[in-house]
Amino acid sequence: MTEPKVIMSLMFFTMAFAFYAATALFYIGYWLLRREWIGQTATIMAYIAALATTMVLIARAGESGHAPFSNLYESMILFVWAITIGYLWLEHRYKIKVIGAFVMTISFLAVLSASLLPYRFKSVEPLNPALQSKWKWLVGILEPMGLERYAIGWLDFHVFTTFIGYAAFAIAFGLSIMYLLKERFEARKKGNFLVDSFPETRILDELSYRGIALGFPFLSLGIISGAIWANYAWGTYWSWDPKETWSLITWFVYAAYLHARVTRGWRGKKSAYLSIAGFIAVVFLYWGVSFILPGLHAYA
Amino acid sequence: MKKRAWYGSVWRFFASVKLTIFVLIALALSSIIGTVIEQNQPIESYYIEYGERWGDIIRTLQLDDMYHSVWFVAQLVLLMINIIACTYERFPPKWRSLLRKVDDFDPSIIDRFSNREAIELGATLGRARDRVIEVLRKNRYKIKLDRSQGDEVKLYASRGLIGRFGSDITHVSLFVIIIGAIYGSFWGYRDFRPILVGSMIRVPDADFALRLDKFWIDYYDTGQIRQYNSLLTVIEDGKEVLTKQIWVNEPLYYKGIRFYQSSYGTSWNRIKEAEIALKRLDSNKVDPPFSVKWGEVSKVPGSKYSVRLVGYVSDFAFDERTRTVFSKSGETNNPAVQIEVYNGEDLIARPWLFFNFPGLIHAIPGTQYDLVLMGFRTIPYSGISITKDPGTNVVWVGTGIMGIGFFLAFFVYHRRIWVSIKASGNGTIVRMGGVINKNPLGFEREFKDIVEAVKETDSRA
Ligand code: HEM
Repeated sequence: MTEPKVIMSLMFFTMAFAFYAATALFYIGYWLLRREWIGQTATIMAYIAALATTMVLIARAGESGHAPFSNLYESMILFVWAITIGYLWLEHRYKIKVIGAFVMTISFLAVLSASLLPYRFKSVEPLNPALQSKWKWLVGILEPMGLERYAIGWLDFHVFTTFIGYAAFAIAFGLSIMYLLKERFEARKKGNFLVDSFPETRILDELSYRGIALGFPFLSLGIISGAIWANYAWGTYWSWDPKETWSLITWFVYAAYLHARVTRGWRGKKSAYLSIAGFIAVVFLYWGVSFILPGLHAYA
Repeated sequence: MKKRAWYGSVWRFFASVKLTIFVLIALALSSIIGTVIEQNQPIESYYIEYGERWGDIIRTLQLDDMYHSVWFVAQLVLLMINIIACTYERFPPKWRSLLRKVDDFDPSIIDRFSNREAIELGATLGRARDRVIEVLRKNRYKIKLDRSQGDEVKLYASRGLIGRFGSDITHVSLFVIIIGAIYGSFWGYRDFRPILVGSMIRVPDADFALRLDKFWIDYYDTGQIRQYNSLLTVIEDGKEVLTKQIWVNEPLYYKGIRFYQSSYGTSWNRIKEAEIALKRLDSNKVDPPFSVKWGEVSKVPGSKYSVRLVGYVSDFAFDERTRTVFSKSGETNNPAVQIEVYNGEDLIARPWLFFNFPGLIHAIPGTQYDLVLMGFRTIPYSGISITKDPGTNVVWVGTGIMGIGFFLAFFVYHRRIWVSIKASGNGTIVRMGGVINKNPLGFEREFKDIVEAVKETDSRA
């Protein structure tokens, strides 16, 4: 049995790791010291980190011969990739760099935990029988070109959409933390050097809502495509296994968040707490369930 | 219509969004229990694991199957009532106000919007109006009102009205999904059948049968399992109507019923054939084995006896009460075959031969001969899950509707702009105000762009 080659992806991963560490440091430096050049460096670092993450995903796909999200390690990289791309879009659009001190730190922590995973999670493996499902129409299109092994199916779609959702929630989580910090000092009507550079609470609240308003439909797509896939693989679209149930729990929390905004009195602080609760549920859904609770899901 | 006081407050309670938030959070919190306590185990196992007191609690609160428990379902029902009440209460007024035709407005409302701007233009009233309309159209607004009154022109334009219906469509889709789920749970079933290679089963609740022609496993070069496969044939009215190879994730679907590859193994109560050898007790010598097929008779070479293979268990066990032999498990832990021994035409014994314990039972009593089980060929079976859920398609329709609802609710914003244009001296004053239902930050930008574009009118003229 030959050891599958993961050299390229590991190389890019190491590079990404270094750049995420630098990115987080520079953004935090920018937040605390407020030097323009630090902020600019942070942004450049973040772009390089994003590029390196993209390369890890491409290299993994090449090495394993299937879409690069079939185990915990790969899904972590997808998660980090989505957060970073989302954040860079946000920065480009709204030009508020302090947010990076929170969001890119989440990216870095995620990369860090991916790097701490035991080796068995990092090696590439052929897909086990239950994880193989490809869209026939796509195989049909790719087959004449000899590319049918790159066809994807419901499972890939499921993981991809779920992780876009997770990433949007992660960004919203960072913004909700900032909201609560800022709100606390604003309530006391006194300035504080830590939060003065934050955007207004109104903007933090709004952006965090935008994150959830993006994450919610994607999480829903993830749950639905998971149900479609389960209907194929297990013969039923819903079986209350712990992963499914936790995804529903998360979904309920964010649904509560969305409705909290319909009622005036629940905006702001209360909805920020719900957003944080939602993200705790996401973290548990993602890591907790895999390691603590028994179930049918292999990893994500 | 006047409602009586208590009636009104009960109604308001059921129609309130606060109730929604509480029910959603209650559902989230209570769902956790079922992920911590393993579901659908035999009730004793909870007493063993959690002790007497908690065992009682688990049983009383139905925590062993909590997602189907009365109190959990009650929460879902409450949510449904909440949606119905809320929809009834809020949405018709919302629709009416959204769909009402605007034929006039008081220009002073413009001053109330946080996005507003007054622009002085050198252009004439008519040109200014044309320009504003052009800019709004370019930004994909629909002009809903265009009214001239003396030296004033009033415009009202909007875009993305349909987005306001996203939440309603989402709520309707939840209904469809839940109805589909309930329908499926009443009219569908889930079943499992091990089918021996070459044999046939009758499909529950259907008028056809299913035969397993073949079962095999594919491997990667590394030796890891790649896929489990079964070749199935549907038999209807005695005729073969369809043959299909299924594997994990690739079921056979016929007349609303799905057949999935879900496990495999070897039969615990049948084999293809057995290898049996004659043993001479006086010399302790074992003759070369001969084979005997299931249900058939074979002569024992070198003797006057013949045997017929009549029984097999993979894990021998004996039930005292019914005095029957059965297999304790599907594992091949203690395999044994039963044979009938004939002397010519006479049945003289029906012994069990144990693979692990040769000689335990003397097969041909009162003689110097014994029979030993040397080997056997098992019959593989394929474990096929059979499911029928006629509600599934309803659920999929519901999720499709939900997708449309989400798209409208989260990605289509309702923007409205009111404009008043008045002649003033040689030129005109354009006052505009706008609102959006969501994404105010994005709208601030768009509004500014629109204002800038209108201002350009002068430089272009
Ligand atoms: C699991 C159950 C529910 C889900 C998934 C759901 C979903 C949604 C979604 C996606 C929105 C749009 C949110 C936004 O635009 O930010 C929404 C809005 C709304 N929902 Fe629900 N909903 C649920 C239950 C309820 C219930 C029980 C009520 C009853 C009070 C309710 C009342 C509302 C109201 C009043 C709005 C705002 C409508 C508008 O402004 O157009 N929802 N809901």
